[in-house]
Amino acid sequence: MEADQSLLPASRIQPTPQKRLQAVLRTAWRFRAFYLMLLPGVIYFIIFRYFPMYGVIIAFKNFAIMDGITGSAWADPWYKHFKEFYQSPYFSQLLSNTLLISCYKLIWGTFPPIILALLLNECRVRWLKSIVQTLTYLPHFLSWVIIFGILLTLFSQNGGLVNRWIVEAGGESIPFLTSTDYFRSILVGSEVWQNLGWGAIIYLAAMASIDPTLYEAAKVDGASRLRMIWHISLPGIQSIIVLLFILKLGHLLDAGFDQIYILYNIQVYPVADILDTWVYRTGLQQLNFSLASAVGLFKSLIGLILVLGANRLAKKWGEGIW
Amino acid sequence: MLTISLLGALLAGCSGGGGSETNEGNTPSNTAKPSNEVSSKPIKLEIIETGNNLPTPDKDIIKKELDTALNIDLNLTVYPSGDDYANQLNVRMSSGNFPDLFMVSRQQLIQFSEQGLLLDITPYMDKLQQTVDYIGEDSVKKGMVDGKVYGVSKSPQIPYNTLWIRKDWLDKLKLTVPTTVEQLKEVAEAFTTQDPDGNGKPDTYGLTGGKMGAFSTVLGAFGVGMPGNFYEKDGAVVNALYDPAMKDALALIQQMIGSGSVDPELLANSGLQHQEKAIKGQAGIVYIDWPNMTKEQFVEQIKTVNPNAEWLQIAAPSGPGGQFDGSWDIGATPGRFAIPKALEKEPEKLQRVFDLLNYVSNPDGGSLLVQFGVKDTHFTLDNGKPKMTDKAGDVGYSWLYQFTGRPEMEYLQAKFAMQSDAIKFANDQPRIQVLNGFIDNPEGFNPADADRYIEEEIAKFIYNKRPISEYDAFIKTLETSMNYKAFLDSANEQLKALGYGG
Amino acid sequence: MVKSLDDKIFNGVVYVILGLCGLAAILPMLYVVSVSITPFGEVLRNGGFILFPSEITFSAYKTLLTESNIPKAFQITVLITVIGTAVNLILTGLMAYPLSRKNLPARKFFLLMIVFTLLFSGGLIPTYLVVKSMGLLDSIWAMILPNAVWSFNVLIMKSFFEGLPEELFESARMDGAKEFRILLQIVTPLSIPVLLTVGLFYFVGHWNEFFQAIFYVTDRTLFPLQVIVREILMQSQQPLENAENIMPTQTMQMASVMIASLPVIVIYPFLQKHFTKGMLLGSIKG
Repeated sequence: MEADQSLLPASRIQPTPQKRLQAVLRTAWRFRAFYLMLLPGVIYFIIFRYFPMYGVIIAFKNFAIMDGITGSAWADPWYKHFKEFYQSPYFSQLLSNTLLISCYKLIWGTFPPIILALLLNECRVRWLKSIVQTLTYLPHFLSWVIIFGILLTLFSQNGGLVNRWIVEAGGESIPFLTSTDYFRSILVGSEVWQNLGWGAIIYLAAMASIDPTLYEAAKVDGASRLRMIWHISLPGIQSIIVLLFILKLGHLLDAGFDQIYILYNIQVYPVADILDTWVYRTGLQQLNFSLASAVGLFKSLIGLILVLGANRLAKKWGEGIW
Repeated sequence: MLTISLLGALLAGCSGGGGSETNEGNTPSNTAKPSNEVSSKPIKLEIIETGNNLPTPDKDIIKKELDTALNIDLNLTVYPSGDDYANQLNVRMSSGNFPDLFMVSRQQLIQFSEQGLLLDITPYMDKLQQTVDYIGEDSVKKGMVDGKVYGVSKSPQIPYNTLWIRKDWLDKLKLTVPTTVEQLKEVAEAFTTQDPDGNGKPDTYGLTGGKMGAFSTVLGAFGVGMPGNFYEKDGAVVNALYDPAMKDALALIQQMIGSGSVDPELLANSGLQHQEKAIKGQAGIVYIDWPNMTKEQFVEQIKTVNPNAEWLQIAAPSGPGGQFDGSWDIGATPGRFAIPKALEKEPEKLQRVFDLLNYVSNPDGGSLLVQFGVKDTHFTLDNGKPKMTDKAGDVGYSWLYQFTGRPEMEYLQAKFAMQSDAIKFANDQPRIQVLNGFIDNPEGFNPADADRYIEEEIAKFIYNKRPISEYDAFIKTLETSMNYKAFLDSANEQLKALGYGG
Repeated sequence: MVKSLDDKIFNGVVYVILGLCGLAAILPMLYVVSVSITPFGEVLRNGGFILFPSEITFSAYKTLLTESNIPKAFQITVLITVIGTAVNLILTGLMAYPLSRKNLPARKFFLLMIVFTLLFSGGLIPTYLVVKSMGLLDSIWAMILPNAVWSFNVLIMKSFFEGLPEELFESARMDGAKEFRILLQIVTPLSIPVLLTVGLFYFVGHWNEFFQAIFYVTDRTLFPLQVIVREILMQSQQPLENAENIMPTQTMQMASVMIASLPVIVIYPFLQKHFTKGMLLGSIKG
């Protein structure tokens, strides 16, 4: 606190550069313990995250393995690989599929885990809470290959359970997995199912830090449980909700490659083919690193804009990452 | 000369396969070591490829045998997923951390060789005589780029796929084995509508298979290859999409699908789902390879599901365009290996790689080892014919060491004695000889987009979501939007240069 | 205690929804378990669908535990998980705590530096070169160090630390406690839920590790569990076209998944009690 107050006048008066430097250094010195704590992590980030970042330049080069990243010739024009991607006849479809699937997943991946966490928090029966919490956590550990198998036993037209019921009830079997009408719902639904309990963990942890006297006081005032959720639990986890939402926005153009790659098939390409699956198919056949890098850079830039924007917005409500 | 090569052995032994830094080891203290110790040191060889089920080195009998025979320390790493493998290979090539021998696709062979990363084996061909004799001149050609040999291709494979049909279902419905496409269509319909499994539920389909492959024989009956295939017809090179009979074939397939007699999720079948459907008794006709129908594991599964089930391997049905059991790419190879150019600087090590290739190609040397395992343990020789013992299962992974392939027919006959008839039957079927393996993609053509478009539109035609009358419009879009014309021209040119199409 | 009618209805609704969520999760899991202990022929006879096995066999587990590389890989995984999680938590905590102090000069710079790496990465090749030049290839460190800190987890932890009441720090500083001691003796015990959460994320991350292993490790004796499991699962996705290939049955696949995920599954119930509402602050302030 003291440090804060002594800083203020120093930054208001316009001192000589030398004096300003001294002031900055003096403040920094006061925080030396903090910087020391940051040091190992920062070194890690520099070595393993920032140093390799020169690799993004291959998006602007004609990458040749022999010449390496720095030695490869510049692409001509510099946006050659971006153009290649933009000129694909499927570009607009890929982009809209990516955005749509991603937005669905953003919405369905955000609210259900919050609701589950709130409900678990309200659950007064210890064993039920514990069991449901564990059960919903399990599917996170099934890989998409396994989930694909489960989806087939449920939704296949060849003896899938759901279709068996439909047919026995006198209906027509539904091509859940091969029809453009259902495929996105299958994608989003299976993802929600997989990550419902896993996603709730972090909110549960956040709620564990809420001051219980708040609830007691509210109870004395005769507040209903719904009111307590609305006025105590939700505000208590608000900062985590905002943080996660902003970070998820940064990956808006990642619609879930692993899942889609395993689940999709030629008949649902018009609704399921996304940027990453396209890059994968194109890159795999042509060993085109530069193209993959260009698309990656494009995705990152969009992500960065969204994160910066969302953070600015969130700050207006007093939240935000920095 | 002698000291140099001994030095090479020493260096390679110490540096553990690290590419170019080996000169650092050239210090007096090293050379001063007694020479007998030096020469006894095995050379480390690193090999990577796709594969699975390789045991850890301590349990790897084949590795141990090869190590002793060639005085090497062989470190093989296999990658179950082709994508993982491609990524691994790419990062290693980019970082100069070259394996000493590695599997490459045709595309990788071209790219890596153009960038000067691969050793041109042409000058060393005399050292590889054994290998060349083993794989054959045709396979040598498949490893060439611009007239130079950069890759060692495996000896050719033989086709495995045929149609399989439920004999017991045919009998139950008093039908005979279909011999024409029309009959195939009728049988498939009967299998769908007449409850061949007698459970009173409409839960069976006629035909299944892996994606469009299910229709290989139907296309074959019209003399047409799979969409995108190039083949010779009446002395000229044809692309299946431009084959006039393609429309007729698609029309028939569309009728089959329309009648509901085809697995509705056929185009979504990934992996071995079609096999599973066949075993489960959901489909009565399947286009599949013999291993997946006749190996004990599967025979047992078939019998568990239904003790009366009897699968019969049948010939392709005939039709207006003849009788072909699908197509067979004569330009393809089951795999090819390349050597990094960096190995040029390590002649001793390079020699060991050649030794290894020759050894596994030597019928009197290691060829039997990598085919069948250790003699008298995993197999015995009976009048020169290998017979597997009950321990053969211990070296089931030995195929991972078949870097130059194997004499396919004799090998399979010995290893799969029980399936002998099915192997011969599949091999004897007439097939359309496809040339795609000889064609390299031209610059600026994105095969991914074109492939998707072809697959997608063909799916629409056969599922009657687009009338076949629009077929010509489809071709036109393909040529213009997908740049297929450029590919077509380039392909024709390449094939002409090889002497196809007159 | 007298409960109002509203309260009862509310509880009822909560229990029903929770019950449904539990059911939706357990049925498919039950299927995985059942398939893993049923002879595969039996699975196929039931059209691939089994909830309650009629015949039980543990042969798939036995095969995996005796004939495959799984036991060795299990040891490697335990090793990288334990060491890795410890390294992760220490580094993450050390970063998150200073960044949670809003008056730290250059705080925004450091935070942006972290957020930036969430969005941009240099790609595979340059990262491989770094790992190679540090001599980490073919060692367990190649599976630990390249992911020593996850930006995401730093931000989560930082956000939790920010929620701690300011008075705690002030009183500690008045005592003349050094920052390292504040972190260790005041912040850490108050942050058990987030430490466990972030610890769980790291733990699971290491447990499921295969990506770095397949890039940086070629020594088969160093492969972690998920590389082996992936090998088993991949065979069903991209079967190799050769006659010798022995395709793992679905029973085998499910068993491998069970073996690989059982340890992470069983630890969770032990962590749960620390996520109880308001438990920590209540006990401190109480």
